[in-house]
Amino acid sequence: MSSKTEQREPEHVQTLGHEEYDPIGTAILIGIYFLILVLLWIFMYFVEFLGNGPTVVGMALTVVGLA
Amino acid sequence: MATSPPTEVTAMRNAYVDQFPDEARVIKAAFWSSFIALAIGGTLGLVQALHRTDVFRFIQSPDYYTVLTAHGVLLAITFTIFFLVGTFTWAVTTSLDRGVVDVRFTWAWYIMMVIGTVLVAIAIFSGFLESAPSVLGSELNADVLFTFYAPLEAHPIFYIGLVLFVVGSWLAGVDWFRTWLAWRSENPDERIPLPTFMVLTTTLFWYICTFGVALSILVFLLPWSLGITESVNPLLTRTLFWYFGHAVVYFWLMPAYMMWYIMLPKFSGGKLFSDPLARVVFVLFLLLSTPLGIHHQYLDPGIAEGYKFIAMTNTMFLLLPSLLTAFTVVASMEHGARQRGGEGYLGWLKALPWRNPIFTGMALAGLMFAAAGFSGMINAGMNINYLVHNTWWVVGHFHLTVGTAVALTFMAASYWFIPQLTGKELWNRSVALGQVLLWFIGMTFMSNAMHRSGLFGMPRRTAEPQYQGFDFEPAVGTVGEINMQVALGGVILTLSLALFLLNMIMTSIGDDSESIPDNTYAGTLSGAEDSPRILDNLKLWTAIAVVLVIIAYTLPLASIIDAGGLFGPGIEGVRLSTWVDPAVIESLGEVIR
Amino acid sequence: MNIHTYEKVWLVAAMVLIVGFIATITYGAVGPGIAMIDDEGGDINPDEINDDERFAEPGVEHVGGNEYEVAVVAQAWSYTPSQIEVPANSEVTFYVTSRDVTHSFSVVGTNVNTMVIPGQVSEMTVKFDEPGEYGILCNEYCGEYHHTMEGKLNVVPEDEFDMTELSVEADDEVESGNETTITANVENGMQEDLETTVSLEIGDETREEAVTVPGDGSEEVAFTVDSADLGEGDHDWTVTVDDYEESGTLSVVTPDGNESADGGDGDA
Repeated sequence: MSSKTEQREPEHVQTLGHEEYDPIGTAILIGIYFLILVLLWIFMYFVEFLGNGPTVVGMALTVVGLA
Repeated sequence: MATSPPTEVTAMRNAYVDQFPDEARVIKAAFWSSFIALAIGGTLGLVQALHRTDVFRFIQSPDYYTVLTAHGVLLAITFTIFFLVGTFTWAVTTSLDRGVVDVRFTWAWYIMMVIGTVLVAIAIFSGFLESAPSVLGSELNADVLFTFYAPLEAHPIFYIGLVLFVVGSWLAGVDWFRTWLAWRSENPDERIPLPTFMVLTTTLFWYICTFGVALSILVFLLPWSLGITESVNPLLTRTLFWYFGHAVVYFWLMPAYMMWYIMLPKFSGGKLFSDPLARVVFVLFLLLSTPLGIHHQYLDPGIAEGYKFIAMTNTMFLLLPSLLTAFTVVASMEHGARQRGGEGYLGWLKALPWRNPIFTGMALAGLMFAAAGFSGMINAGMNINYLVHNTWWVVGHFHLTVGTAVALTFMAASYWFIPQLTGKELWNRSVALGQVLLWFIGMTFMSNAMHRSGLFGMPRRTAEPQYQGFDFEPAVGTVGEINMQVALGGVILTLSLALFLLNMIMTSIGDDSESIPDNTYAGTLSGAEDSPRILDNLKLWTAIAVVLVIIAYTLPLASIIDAGGLFGPGIEGVRLSTWVDPAVIESLGEVIR
Repeated sequence: MNIHTYEKVWLVAAMVLIVGFIATITYGAVGPGIAMIDDEGGDINPDEINDDERFAEPGVEHVGGNEYEVAVVAQAWSYTPSQIEVPANSEVTFYVTSRDVTHSFSVVGTNVNTMVIPGQVSEMTVKFDEPGEYGILCNEYCGEYHHTMEGKLNVVPEDEFDMTELSVEADDEVESGNETTITANVENGMQEDLETTVSLEIGDETREEAVTVPGDGSEEVAFTVDSADLGEGDHDWTVTVDDYEESGTLSVVTPDGNESADGGDGDA
């Protein structure tokens, strides 16, 4: 596989192996993404959706009413 | 493999076309089939963007649905899958370092897919004719949209074409498996190379999911359109469609994922962060991409809430492979950036090769997919579906997924593939860079506006979303402003599409070049040796996937058949466009104007 | 497997996200009580809609208390009924089915939204707390004039809502000297008895009659009109029950030939 995957770019200035590479930037970006997801989810569910009533509700109440 | 000759002769060009000239021809044909579909389908997209926003209407509104059918089928099926079969054939041959077993077989399935496409296209485009010719006893017509929900009925050749196309893709899968098996007999102890692993797992879930649509067409819709059976059960054929209909989105997404895993790290100047996790991700797609189709039917009557909840759980867990992908792919980019001298917590982003259209196109596609991930999470939620179901929100969502994550990745990849397949240098890199940027900008306008309008109930699949009895009431902004954003986005996207096609054509008619880079893909930081062997046990994962499908679908299908019968209660075909009294159309037309 | 610590953390965070999403949806079902459209509505043969108890005469029905049922038939490209009126502070169960292809029944700007599939009945219960006017549209492609398929849902203030219907039978003309009858038929769609007054205005006379219309029934009120009191000529009349009015004109004509001699009562 090596012949298929070897790759050297002119801009290449250092080689980092799995051990010495710490994807801290990725962790920060993904953390921000996580926060965005949580906040947008809460906004969409509790403001956009639950605030968009009337909403279809269960039949349980009707059944009780008819009984 | 370590001694494959081309690396020793460093002066010689070692592009894909040099390694596998026969395969390169088939792949090139598949890519051009894909581009033609993209060109036609994309142009029709502009017609729709201008028509439904009432910016410029030059077709009759009933024809809008013919346009929409063609747009959906050509882009969601033809463009994506032709590109996929090309990419997968490249991936298998490149990573196994051997050609396909018999290239005539490869041509055979390609030609079968082309014939299928042509038949489908004839049926759809006949919708524009005043009086379409009669074939097989009925008028050519297929104004049934991409989902062809019965009892809307298309001409039989529409269904026949779809079947040929799908069977062609099945044979393509056979081709890849055959090639892999031949490689395995020569390399019995080797791990499956990652790209081939991705191809095989994707093909396996394609077999599982297309079983549903094949059943729907061959047993129910085709005999019914030919008049052999008299009735259908609309809920049953609809459920079988969605059994296939969500997995197909992962099918066309997987080549994009593959590009992000095995090409994007390379273009970033680094290596794939983790081969084992990439394998885990593809195994999860194999397991979970089919038993969740009912999440498209959250608002369908006739399906109990419990089955919808099961589908939701599966859907939500399928977020996992995509979230893992986000980490792995960004970490691989960061690795590249740091090897290129990038520093700081986020400063490394500047060290990425933003001037490279291939990198930038794929990176922007990935960014859009992160946004699409969010709207997809909303779509996956069961009861919140009341808010967004069948609104323009959904259209905004899939223009970020298939329309950007997939399409933009494919276009960016084409800037790498076409030189590889032709031995000709890309015509203009600056135009290419501008093209991917324009796509990103155009889609930002269009998709954002679509998402917003869904929240106040603007429907999808509508020629004229202007009603007599009521107005839409956006919480923020106006309907007019949203329409302008969609129209503007559509124009920018069309411009971008034209630049892409121009670049492809100019590249193809250009001269041979010696400076084509070698046909390689990204190496790995944590390689196959780190991943448990059980991940390569395709039989095991396929068996589990089948069991999950059986668990998710047996009871809902049984109750649908129990209630409505296999063939439904005397539901005959409806071809709305040939069925209506002209006087009705006239009076309706007056009402509309 | 060689998995980086950050990636393990992210794996856990992703699982938390997924479980959190499922928990939110479950809360929506348990807390606010949001129910999905399901198989409760049962199935129906589209060819037999006209014979169906519920769908033969689609429209609003009072079940009792603040509960109503609305039967709607969707077909290309309209809803029957196209206008629906229900009171605020009510609990309304919609039953929607399709005569031909797949449609939807989507109340714009709300979370009331269902697919309408031929062969199936979509059943959904909605509480309307506040008055409001909503559009209804079809958001599933149903043929070439799909975009013209719409309806209206009016939630009116509770005190403005009733299900009373008034129809009046009356002759157009009467011979001078004869009597005629103007009959008001008051229908009450509500389950409770309706106590009201039927009034007739004719000439310069107003007559009123108190009436109790039984729940889900009707009552006739007949007013006998003596032409002698009116005199010859055209007389406008109006029958009123609550907010409903029906009016017409009664002509008192001279009897033909010798019959005129029969009269003779002075009308002064």
